[in-house]
Amino acid sequence: MSMMENIINFTINGQNVEAKKGETILQVARKNDIYIPTMCYISKTTPCASCRLCSVEAEGLDGFVLSCNTPPTEGVAINTNSNDLERERTNIMKLYDVNHPLECGVCDKSGECDLQNKTLEFNVEQQNFSAKDLSRPIEHWGLINYDPALCILCEKCVHVCNESIGDDAIDIKFGGYSSVIIPKNSDKLDCTFCGECIAVCPVGALVSSNFQYTANAWELERIPSTCAHCSGGCSLEYETRDEGIFGDKEIYRVKNNFEYTNLCGAGRFGFDFNNKATKDEAAFSKAVSAIKEAKAIRFSSMITNEEAYILGELQEKFGMKLFNEDARLFASFMKAYSTVSGKKHHSGSLDAIKQADAAIIIGSRVATDNPAVRYALTTASRHNGAKIIYAHPMEDALMQNTVTQNMKHEVGTEEGVIALLANAILKDADLETQERAFFDDLDLGYLGAECNIGEEEIAQMMLSFKRAQNKVLIIGADIMAHAKAKNIAKIAAIIEKYSAFSLVVIPSEVNTLGVSLINKLDIDEDIIDVVGYNAKGNFVLSSLEFANLSIPSLNQQEGTFVSIDNQVLPTNVALDFKGYTLNDIALSCGIKHKNTIDCTKMLGSQSGFKEIEFDALENFLTSHGDDKRGYILDEVNCKMNGKLEAVDTLPEFNGTVIYHSNPVLQFNAYTNTTKQLERDTSLRGSAQFAQAAKISDGDTVEISFGAQVIQRKFKLDADLKGTIALNPTFDIPVDLRRYKFEKSKIVRMTNE
Amino acid sequence: MNTQAFNDRNVNDSYYMVDIEEYPTDGWGRFKRVIKRTFRGELFVGLWVVLREMLKFNIHTIQYPLEKMPIGPRYRAVHEMKRLWESDAERCIGCGLCEKICISNCIKMDTKIDENSRKEVSEYTINLGRCIFCGYCAEVCPELAITHGGEYENGSEQREHYIDYNGMLTPLEMMTQGKQQEFEGFGAITPHEDARMKKTPLAY
Repeated sequence: MSMMENIINFTINGQNVEAKKGETILQVARKNDIYIPTMCYISKTTPCASCRLCSVEAEGLDGFVLSCNTPPTEGVAINTNSNDLERERTNIMKLYDVNHPLECGVCDKSGECDLQNKTLEFNVEQQNFSAKDLSRPIEHWGLINYDPALCILCEKCVHVCNESIGDDAIDIKFGGYSSVIIPKNSDKLDCTFCGECIAVCPVGALVSSNFQYTANAWELERIPSTCAHCSGGCSLEYETRDEGIFGDKEIYRVKNNFEYTNLCGAGRFGFDFNNKATKDEAAFSKAVSAIKEAKAIRFSSMITNEEAYILGELQEKFGMKLFNEDARLFASFMKAYSTVSGKKHHSGSLDAIKQADAAIIIGSRVATDNPAVRYALTTASRHNGAKIIYAHPMEDALMQNTVTQNMKHEVGTEEGVIALLANAILKDADLETQERAFFDDLDLGYLGAECNIGEEEIAQMMLSFKRAQNKVLIIGADIMAHAKAKNIAKIAAIIEKYSAFSLVVIPSEVNTLGVSLINKLDIDEDIIDVVGYNAKGNFVLSSLEFANLSIPSLNQQEGTFVSIDNQVLPTNVALDFKGYTLNDIALSCGIKHKNTIDCTKMLGSQSGFKEIEFDALENFLTSHGDDKRGYILDEVNCKMNGKLEAVDTLPEFNGTVIYHSNPVLQFNAYTNTTKQLERDTSLRGSAQFAQAAKISDGDTVEISFGAQVIQRKFKLDADLKGTIALNPTFDIPVDLRRYKFEKSKIVRMTNE
Repeated sequence: MNTQAFNDRNVNDSYYMVDIEEYPTDGWGRFKRVIKRTFRGELFVGLWVVLREMLKFNIHTIQYPLEKMPIGPRYRAVHEMKRLWESDAERCIGCGLCEKICISNCIKMDTKIDENSRKEVSEYTINLGRCIFCGYCAEVCPELAITHGGEYENGSEQREHYIDYNGMLTPLEMMTQGKQQEFEGFGAITPHEDARMKKTPLAY
């Protein structure tokens, strides 16, 4: 009965409660809806224990116990209410109020401020403490403003920055009453500007510089939705208000449930990508006839499931083709995976990563590709001491605090790397003869040499994984366009099947996964008569600029996405769109849905979707942090007829190689249109790259790769090493069919 | 509170009947009443008073709109925005409470951060066509910035009638002349305010 030993029985206010091993008194109290006030506690990090408001009495003990970081002992009687505690809490609030500027009238936090709430809650009627006030100038840190005079030093921001985000960019400068929050090891704040510190700040000390003083908490309408920038599927709330005194509704800010979830800066600050249009009847009738005559529709994965479904109906009705290379490659990867694993969906999730104590990530510069995965890895690293292996041709400075072992391999050799990893992981696994034969046939010496991964690196990894219980293999979006993607998928499936590893495959765009499940996609041919839906075409329906017919963008639509967790998540209308939608076009083409969201229940059980109406989907987290957002796809069993292919010669990439990877906070053409997000469109490379390409910092260069020739400014980046440069794709899209690393020719443009 | 006094319906002690002559019940009686009222001469009493006062040139009426009565300080007419006596700076801090409390939704405002990192009101209008001059905005204002003035002539030919921030703001020349009027209605400082204040300890 090992389960019984891990349960601790005790009482809170006379109520019998039980704690699991490792739970604190506060956690048990909250689970049982017993109220203990806190100022500095935040569920997703380790306790800050700075406010002491959560003090409780334990029978038989003199003085108070901090409930946030104290585990209960068997049989202890805890009391959360007494006159002594009440006096203690009132005094704590009085101390917080010493010299707190009386500027609630203008403060952004007024109306949702923990300090206001608790000051009133504990009846602070008069102040009997004082301290000599200090001059504390306001700090301007780009997207974030910090007012030290308002700061109560709860340390929440420092904890989330370090434990949840992984930037580790801020710190406390201790100095008694003069303590302040400062950028860590730097004069200016140097971070990824996720803004999580703003979210958790209980007072108005850390605020969004763009939002500051523009609106009050009570004026804003809150619309729960899902972030539309990457496949992380982070929950967020758009907050809208009329702009100015005669203006239309605009999004003023984005907030997240910071108690349990994280949000990156693109979600938080990149919200103004909505489209404006009126009903243009001429353009609409042209669009209808263009679709009727089209040979194909090309679309991007920045689309809801319902729109994708309607496109599928159009495809069937008019016998046309559907092009979406991003989703097609993802689908073919997952299909190959299914033939070995026998399951349609990968087994892992962001939660699995958070709870992992060992992880391997391959094929993704994850900090910029998918911040949600990065934050999950950060949590795993800080809370479980997870060993994290980062297999990529380039090291990432943003991951250096999280990754325990960089496994730097040669460009293009991912197949070899994963074969080597599988060989080590499945050394003692009970494989079928055919599968064992695959591993026996591997030429380990050749693979090691070509991948540039030494035996000792693999041995070190296996040693660090020795005591791990929850292991995750994360496959990034780089792999999808790899020439041997299918074989990589099969090897990943073998690892998942025969070891304790769960698998997470990162879809590249917000709804790549959904589209790959809903649509029958064709290989993109460069034909004419293609209607583009948020993509290139002869007739373009788009929510971006240069559209023949404007359509709503993702924060103006109802619908669902499928996230990296295989979770169907609802998105809602934050702002009205006055023009035409895809459903209007479908209606004119004879496909009758009253609303786009009528398709939510038709998405198809063969892919794991449930027959649930859109309006029946919830979108919230409970006060205990339980996820009540949409639903998880049902597991679908598939035929297991896949065979591993022998790993042949690995490709070689020499010379100047560029890697298509966006800078922090930029993902796509939508983030590119937002006002607050920084737009660094330069080609970034190391000094070594500059030397090899014979260019220097600030040069305008012409980059040729594949069939594309583009011009960019070159920027030296001290954080980068090696002969691979980073080429952003959010401003100039690249061919999604091609592997993300490209041999390229780089020529300096002559200055005139 | 004891409500017995309110529920006591026994009015015999303190109430008395007014002495009203009987109403006529028949046609003849009614006819007599008409004749009596017609030739009583009360009309000429009134006319004589007017004639007497006219001859004395003792006129009490005001020649509106040429002449106007002074308005009481607590009167709630068109809003004013006050300035600080010390610095002539605008008192309004843009907290938005007047907008929130307004029960007829006639106040709308927009704020922004200014170059000194202070909150600044960028747009502010009151739709006088909707305003019911209840005085809540002046009462809730923590800075005594928005108040009611004595300007009651706000007729317009349209139902919507907006005044903006600068239209309400005390002109600077009025400040230099010290002519800004303080509002004494609800929300203003009462004479015994100092006695009510609890002081923060300043030990240093």
